[in-house]
Amino acid sequence: MNTTNTAAFEAALDKNLQTLKKLLPSEDILTYSFATADKIACALVYADGVVNKELLARLVAAPLSAAALKRLLPQKDGGRDATNAKKRETDQTEKVVEKAQLFPEFKTAETLQDGVNEILDGNTLLLVDGIATGFIAGAKLLPVRAIMEPPTDVAVKGPREGFIEDIKTNMALVRKRLKSPNLRFETLRVGKQSYTAVTLCYLAGTSVESVKEEIKKKIESIRIDNLPDSSYIAAFLAPRKHSLFRTVGTTEKPDIFTAKIAEGRVGILVDGSPIALTAPYITTEDLQTSEDYFISPFTATVFRFLRLVSLFVAILLPAFYVSAQLFKMQLLPLGLMLTIASSVRELPLSPSMEMFVVLLLLEILKEASIRMPKYVGMSLSVVGALVLGETAVSAGFLSTPAIIIVAFSGICLYTVPNFVETGSLLRWLFLLVGGGLGPFGIVLLAAFTLCYLITADSFGTPPLAPFSPLLKSDLRDAVVKYDLQSLSSRPSFLRPKNKTRLVVGADKTKKGENR
Amino acid sequence: MPYSNAIAENDGVHARQIAFFAAFVLPVYKLMETPSLLARYAQGDLLWPALAHFLLQTGVLLLLLYAASRSDKPLLLKMEETLGKWSTLVYIAYALFFLFYAVLPLLDLEKFVYAAFYDTSPTLFSFAFFFILCGFVCTKGLKCVGRLADLSLFLFLLPFLLLLLMSLVEADASNLLPIFQRPLSDSAKAFTYTTPHFSDTVLLLPLIGNLRYKKGDGKKISLGYALGATLVLLFLGVFYAVYSTLAAREHYAFAKLAQYFPALSVVGRIDLLLVYILCIVLFFLVCTPLSYGVHCLARTTGTSRKTLLSVAVALVAFLFVLFCNKYYDGVYALISGKLFVLFYLFADLIPLLLLLPALTGKKAKRKEKRNA
Repeated sequence: MNTTNTAAFEAALDKNLQTLKKLLPSEDILTYSFATADKIACALVYADGVVNKELLARLVAAPLSAAALKRLLPQKDGGRDATNAKKRETDQTEKVVEKAQLFPEFKTAETLQDGVNEILDGNTLLLVDGIATGFIAGAKLLPVRAIMEPPTDVAVKGPREGFIEDIKTNMALVRKRLKSPNLRFETLRVGKQSYTAVTLCYLAGTSVESVKEEIKKKIESIRIDNLPDSSYIAAFLAPRKHSLFRTVGTTEKPDIFTAKIAEGRVGILVDGSPIALTAPYITTEDLQTSEDYFISPFTATVFRFLRLVSLFVAILLPAFYVSAQLFKMQLLPLGLMLTIASSVRELPLSPSMEMFVVLLLLEILKEASIRMPKYVGMSLSVVGALVLGETAVSAGFLSTPAIIIVAFSGICLYTVPNFVETGSLLRWLFLLVGGGLGPFGIVLLAAFTLCYLITADSFGTPPLAPFSPLLKSDLRDAVVKYDLQSLSSRPSFLRPKNKTRLVVGADKTKKGENR
Repeated sequence: MPYSNAIAENDGVHARQIAFFAAFVLPVYKLMETPSLLARYAQGDLLWPALAHFLLQTGVLLLLLYAASRSDKPLLLKMEETLGKWSTLVYIAYALFFLFYAVLPLLDLEKFVYAAFYDTSPTLFSFAFFFILCGFVCTKGLKCVGRLADLSLFLFLLPFLLLLLMSLVEADASNLLPIFQRPLSDSAKAFTYTTPHFSDTVLLLPLIGNLRYKKGDGKKISLGYALGATLVLLFLGVFYAVYSTLAAREHYAFAKLAQYFPALSVVGRIDLLLVYILCIVLFFLVCTPLSYGVHCLARTTGTSRKTLLSVAVALVAFLFVLFCNKYYDGVYALISGKLFVLFYLFADLIPLLLLLPALTGKKAKRKEKRNA
């Protein structure tokens, strides 16, 4: 917000409108003036295009136009009893509000600044001549897209709904799944110009108060002009500014979001962003999918191991390939070594440079395929696969094993979609040390990464929990997935107030207590 | 800063972490040069000097745990209170000792890295990067050591067991028989020369010293140490069973233990991948004495910012390795043959002397209560 007016409303409508015009001179701020049945002037002030005019007309303007408000307005008592007059005025105001009760979302604004904020947020300000109070009708009607399956988080089994950009819809999606009276939303405003709603979402009595307060404090301390996405909030919540690793979890799916909140985490919804944040965050969250909880625990465990192995292969394979060629041939079986030797024999590039080029090509193709229009996607596939891949090999610029390894590594990385950005950077780093120092460099960097991770902190939770620090009960849902009945307690690394989340064989009353 | 605050902030460790450190971190160094060294002097009797070391260390460890169980405060805090300003001297002495302790592991690690990670001969500066990790670990305090111990459960146990399993194909247990085939003097020599490898209590000392002892902690830690000792003895037995009289020449034992596994000729030296995972634990272990050194220096100077100290310690360690790597045999002979007494002094004798007040602490309290 670029205005900081703390002045109160005046009783005279004209003066209020003039002040508002000065505060909001933009041409999309409209005023609709009308009068009540007893000729008291009223005005609705709103931003064009973001309010439901039909509702406003039907539920606010029409009832007020038909009402006779004069007798409800404050009577002049010549200032003899100022306290009584003020009290009466307040009472009268409330009665006027009662008259407008046809609109379900109705509240008062104490200062002009509040009124301005609400108008800019898409609500409508109702001003009545003679009343020094503004009324807010929540007639927001923002253009929103339909709820659909998020492209980044596809599930074969399980719910398919995804968050959208509208925070109210997202809150409704959460409320739909958690019908608990303990579910709390706390909305903060961030962005001097954008005044974006940021809503904390948590289960009272389950989530840790200190975590919520820390998040709230950090969000309140954000001084920024515009908040276009939740990733900005994530950046401000990170204790290490230059970290490669995330410190908050992200999801686009309400079912995952609510599951995490039910475990005792604090969720953050940002208006305008379909990506919700959750904290504290641990790295094993990236290995889990919502589907793991809808299929057999054995299958889920196998899939998680597959993802884990794929992740290591994605990050380490190119580096090990290069370091094996340059520093430790024993790592390769003889047959494979001979095959590689024959294919790299006449290459103009060194193994590390060759891998660097192929990896660079992969990253460029990946970036281009995301950014370029869909109708040229087919051409990109042809150019990428045939021209760059096939021809480069036949021309003797690159070797087939290098292309196979990079392609395999690229595919493996996408088994853990939330780790793609970090994994991609780590792959470069490992390639660099693998090419420069050999396997020793790879192991050293792995040790360094582990050491970095165990000393990091996400709101009191180390990201490598439950492995370090070792939390035995939480290992049941880390890589190995136990059956649902065994996951009776909430993750202990979250330090939840209410540890029990499932009572096996309990009757309904007991389950109710669990709320 | 009062020591109790330091413990709360960055140095708090759990008994579980100490137990894991004893079970899964401490054994790694003994899988490197120790087997060949023991085999050189004791040959088939290599298990006995190792067992003697473990028994001695277990005795000291039990006394330490007994002292911790009788103290209402962490032992180091107690020691600071008892000695007052003199505790600074103890910290300085131990800081120097930890730096001295790190010498052999660093030199061993350097040689091991060149042997296990390279077919070619790399420059010394390749190893220099290890000191970045050292410096980083040093800045993080004892809490980091504790968490690394937690992680070592996964990093150590699986590769270790797999390596053992792969080596069993070639193992011949009869190589260890008959027992006591060598004169006792040889076993004594093996015992003496491997003292630096088995001075485990000194590495447990800062961790136990920071522990807020609870009932059952002593049991956990001693069981952890017993498990670690068992794993080492098992490894030594299997190693000698595989290599027999050649064992003395097989340096860096765990990198060679499984190299004759038949499937490796088809799939390549995948056992090296297991060795590399174990190396992560080894790297952490070698960093640990330096980290303790920084910790002691930080206590001496009273600073909570360890970055500068860590950089200095890592740099000193690097320079030492840079200049001493050519004189490895001389340094080794000096430390193992002549200065090994220092290990007994700092690992066993001084801690027990310093903990005498802790051993009598509760009795004094009880007497006071009785008098009251």
